[in-house]
Amino acid sequence: MLVKDCMTRHPVMAPPTMLAAEAQHLMHENQIRHLPVVGDGKRLLGLVNQLSFALDPGALASLDVWEITRHLSRLSVSDVMIPADKIETIAPDRTIERAARHMTDHKISCLPVVEDDDVVVGILTEVDLLHAFQLMLGLPSDGVRVTMRMPNRPGEFARLTAVLGRQQWGVMGIGTFPTPRREGFYDAVIKIRGVDSAEARAVLSQVPDQEIVDIRDVV
Amino acid sequence: MIASPTTGPRMPVLKVENLAVAYKIRGGEVEAIQNVSFEIARGETFGVVGESGCGKSTTAWAVVNFLGANGYVKRGSIKFQGQELLGKSGEELRQLRGDQIAMVYQDPMQSLNPSMRLGDQMKEVLTVHRGVSDAEATRRCVEMLDRVYMPDPAAVLRRYPHQISGGQQQRVVIAMALLNNPALLIMDEPTTALDVTVEAAVLDLIAELRRDFDTAIMFISHNLGVIARICNRVGVMYAGELVERATVQELFADPQHPYTQGLIRCLPRLGADKAGSVLYPIRGRVPPPSNRPAGCVFSPRCDYVQERCRLERPELRQLPNGTFVRCHFAEVIDPAAWIPSADVRLIPPPAGNGAGAPILEVQGLKKYYPLQGSSLRDVVGLGEQRFVQALEDASFTVHKGQTLGIVGESGCGKSTLVKTIIGLESSSGGRAEFLGLDITGDLSDRNTELIRELQMVFQNPDATMNPSYTVGYQIARPMERFGTVPKGQIRAEVLRLLEAVRLGENYYNRLPRQLSGGEKQRVGIARALASRPDLVLCDEPVSALDVSVQAALLNLLLEVQQEYGTTMVFIAHDLSVVRYFSDQVAVMYLGQVVDIGPAEAIYAPPYHPYTEALLSAVPIPDPAAQQRRIRLEGTVPSAIDPPSGCRFHTRCPRRALLPDGGRICEMEVPPWREAGNGHRILCHIPLETLRDLPPVITVSP
Repeated sequence: MLVKDCMTRHPVMAPPTMLAAEAQHLMHENQIRHLPVVGDGKRLLGLVNQLSFALDPGALASLDVWEITRHLSRLSVSDVMIPADKIETIAPDRTIERAARHMTDHKISCLPVVEDDDVVVGILTEVDLLHAFQLMLGLPSDGVRVTMRMPNRPGEFARLTAVLGRQQWGVMGIGTFPTPRREGFYDAVIKIRGVDSAEARAVLSQVPDQEIVDIRDVV
Repeated sequence: MIASPTTGPRMPVLKVENLAVAYKIRGGEVEAIQNVSFEIARGETFGVVGESGCGKSTTAWAVVNFLGANGYVKRGSIKFQGQELLGKSGEELRQLRGDQIAMVYQDPMQSLNPSMRLGDQMKEVLTVHRGVSDAEATRRCVEMLDRVYMPDPAAVLRRYPHQISGGQQQRVVIAMALLNNPALLIMDEPTTALDVTVEAAVLDLIAELRRDFDTAIMFISHNLGVIARICNRVGVMYAGELVERATVQELFADPQHPYTQGLIRCLPRLGADKAGSVLYPIRGRVPPPSNRPAGCVFSPRCDYVQERCRLERPELRQLPNGTFVRCHFAEVIDPAAWIPSADVRLIPPPAGNGAGAPILEVQGLKKYYPLQGSSLRDVVGLGEQRFVQALEDASFTVHKGQTLGIVGESGCGKSTLVKTIIGLESSSGGRAEFLGLDITGDLSDRNTELIRELQMVFQNPDATMNPSYTVGYQIARPMERFGTVPKGQIRAEVLRLLEAVRLGENYYNRLPRQLSGGEKQRVGIARALASRPDLVLCDEPVSALDVSVQAALLNLLLEVQQEYGTTMVFIAHDLSVVRYFSDQVAVMYLGQVVDIGPAEAIYAPPYHPYTEALLSAVPIPDPAAQQRRIRLEGTVPSAIDPPSGCRFHTRCPRRALLPDGGRICEMEVPPWREAGNGHRILCHIPLETLRDLPPVITVSP
C-alpha cells in the first residue's frame, strides 16, 4: 500500500488571506484537524492545526476585551500557520510504512502529500493510517482471526499457507511481527473467511512447530 | 460486500442550499432557478436531468459564477468543501476554478483554442500552474491522454483541434480538466454531441476516472439513458426547481414525482415497437421563468392536479424510502394506475400487417463525390481522379405503408442515401426506382409529379424554413406549386394540416421565430405532408428535441402514417427510437448497408458484429438492465480510401471468431447471409456462429 492509496484526496484547503476565525470555522464544519494553506496552483504555503489557534495568554493579558476582538478580527491564516519550510511532507508514491516512520520520528500527526515539490494532492493523517491498519488486518469483513506463533526461520510461513491452500480458505487480512519479549519467534495474525473458530483451530493446530496463540470470531 | 472502515461524517464536496438565480431583464428580473438544494460527496456522480429550459445549466454556472453580466445569485448558499463560494472575490474564485473545480461543456471546441496545438494547450495547465519543466509536462500529457484512451497520444499533442474528431476533442478536454486533479468536475452534456459508440467509451472513461481520482462529478444531461448508466444519485429539474432527488435505482424503479413518471413514459424502451406500446408525451410545455404558475410549477401539465396544487407551492420533502420529492400527493399517486388523459390520442396498432406493394426499390445504389486534388497534375486533369465513396452498393426495398429505419454512426452515409433518393444528389451508379420510375438522375430531370410524391423532413427545422414567411404561407406553398388543392381551398387545407400536427389556427400567421423547436418541427412535418406525398424521408426529425416533444412528434408521425398510408424512410441515431418506429431497419457502416431486416430481427441474435457493438453502446434508461460490453476501437475510417474486403474489418471485435484471425475479412468482400424472414447480414462469419452469441441486452424483469 502506497501513500496515494490511503491518503485523503482533495483535502479541504485554505488560501493564506483567509481570516483565522474563518479557518477555525471551516475546520470545525468539516471536522478536520489539519488545514493545508495553499497559494496559486495548490502550492503549499503552510499548515494550520488546532495548536495554531492557541493564543499566547501573556500577549493578551495586557489587552482589554475590545483590543482582543480587534486583534482577532485582523488575524489571517498566514499569521497563525506553520510555514512551509517547517512542515514535513511526503510524495504520493512512497510507502505508508515510510510515511508512518516519518510521522513517529517527528512526532507529528499529519503529512501533506505533495507532487512537483510543493503542489498539494492529498493529506495523510494518523486517522488514514489507522484506516489502512484496519484494512490490512481484514477488519471490515467477518471471519476468524488467528494469531499463529512460528519460529523465525525460512519456510515457516509457507507451511502455514500450504495448510490454508489445502483447505481453500480465503485470507482477507494478514500481519506479521517479531514476537514481543521472545527472541527467535514471529507472530502472524491472519483473518480467514468462511470458517468457524473450531474448524480453524482443528486444522491449524496440526501445523508442526507452530502454535495458536489466540483465536477469535469476534474481533 | 465489504464495508469500508468506519469514518466520521464526511462533508460533501459541494453543497447547494436553497439556491435561487435571477437574471435582470428590461423592466425587472426573472428567477431562472428557485430553491435548488443538493449535495455531492467525493467520488460520487450526481446527475441533473430535465427538459431544456429547466435550469440545469444555470445551476452549474452558478456554482462557478459564470452567470453573465445580468445574472446573479439571489438567495441561498453554495458551499465548496465547507467554504461559501458566494461573496468570494473574483480572484479567489479564479484560483478555486483553476485549481479545484473543472468544467467540461457539450461542445469541446468551446474549451479548445483553435489556433494552438493541442500539446501547447494541455501543457500550459502544468507549466503555468505547477511550474513543471516542458519535458515533464509533455510526459504527463501523454500519460493522461493515454489514460483517456486516445490513440497515439504523442502525435495528438502536435495536432490542432480541428485535426481530430469530435469524440477525440472531448477526450482531450476531459484529460485537460483532469490534469490539475480537480476535487469537483462539472460536466454539462459532455456526450450529447457524440456518436453513440463514442459516447459509450467516454461514459466508461468518466466512471473509471471518478473511481480512480475520487473526483465528485456533477453530470448534466437530458438523456435518461446516459444518467442511468453513469450516476449514483439524480436530481430531476423542472421549470427551475428540483422536483425529485433520489438514488438512480429508486428513480427509475419507483419514480415519485408525476414529472419524472412522465419523462420515463415518454421514452421508447429498447425492444418496444409501435404495435405493442405507446409513448405518452407530457402535455403542454415548460413555462418560461417569467410566467410560472403560482402553486406547483408542474400543475398545468400534471394528470393528478388538484385544487391544493394550484394554490400552494409544495416543499421538497423526504419520503420514507429516502427520496426527496416536491409534490403534495407523492404518497397517494400510484403510477401503475395511471391512465392517459383524454387529450392523448392513442394510435391503434397498424391494421393488417401485410406489406403493400413495393414503392421504393434500390439496387446497388452508389454515390461518389469527386475529390479535387491540389497538385498541378490534378489541376490540369492528368492526376488520378479520387472519390469519396459516400454510398456503396445500397440495396433494399420499401413497401407501401411501411417504415424503413436507418441507423449508423455519423459519416456512414445515412444522409447521403436519403439525399440521393430525394434527388438533392445525383447517384453515381446503381438503380433506384420509385413507383417504377427511375430516380437516379438529377433533380432537374424529374417531373413535378415525382417531386410531389417524395418529400423530406429535416433535422433542423430552423435551417429549412424561411424566417420571413408565416407558417401558413410556408405550408401553402407546396400546395400552390403542385396544384394539389384548388386555390380557394388552400387556407382550409392548411388549417386542416395544422390541426393534424396539433397546432391551432392561431399559428397560421406566426413567424418561425415565434415557435419553439418542437412546434417548428411540426410545421416541417405539415409542410412535407402538404403535397400528399407517397414517401416521406425523415432525416433525424426528433433528435434535436426534448423527450416529451420527441414522444409527441413520434406519435404524430405514426398517426399521419396511419391516416394517409404514407411510407417513410426514417434516419435516427437513437436505436430505441428506430426500433420503436420502424418495420424494417437497415444498419449502415461506411457507406454500406451491413445488416438489414425486420426491426425485431435486427435487435436479436444473430447480429452483424457492427450492430452488436451499436446495441452494446446504446444508453438504456434502466439501471437494472445488463448490457454486454463491446466497444469499438477508433473512429469510422475515411471514405476516400475505405478498408479492403469487409469495410468493418479494421474495427470488428468479432474477427477472431474466424480462422486465421479473420484474414479473409481483409481480402474479400463478405457475402450476404440470409438469416430468414428477410434478415440479411453482410459478414464472413457463418450464421451459426453469430446465432450462438448471447443477446447484448438483458432486462431483468
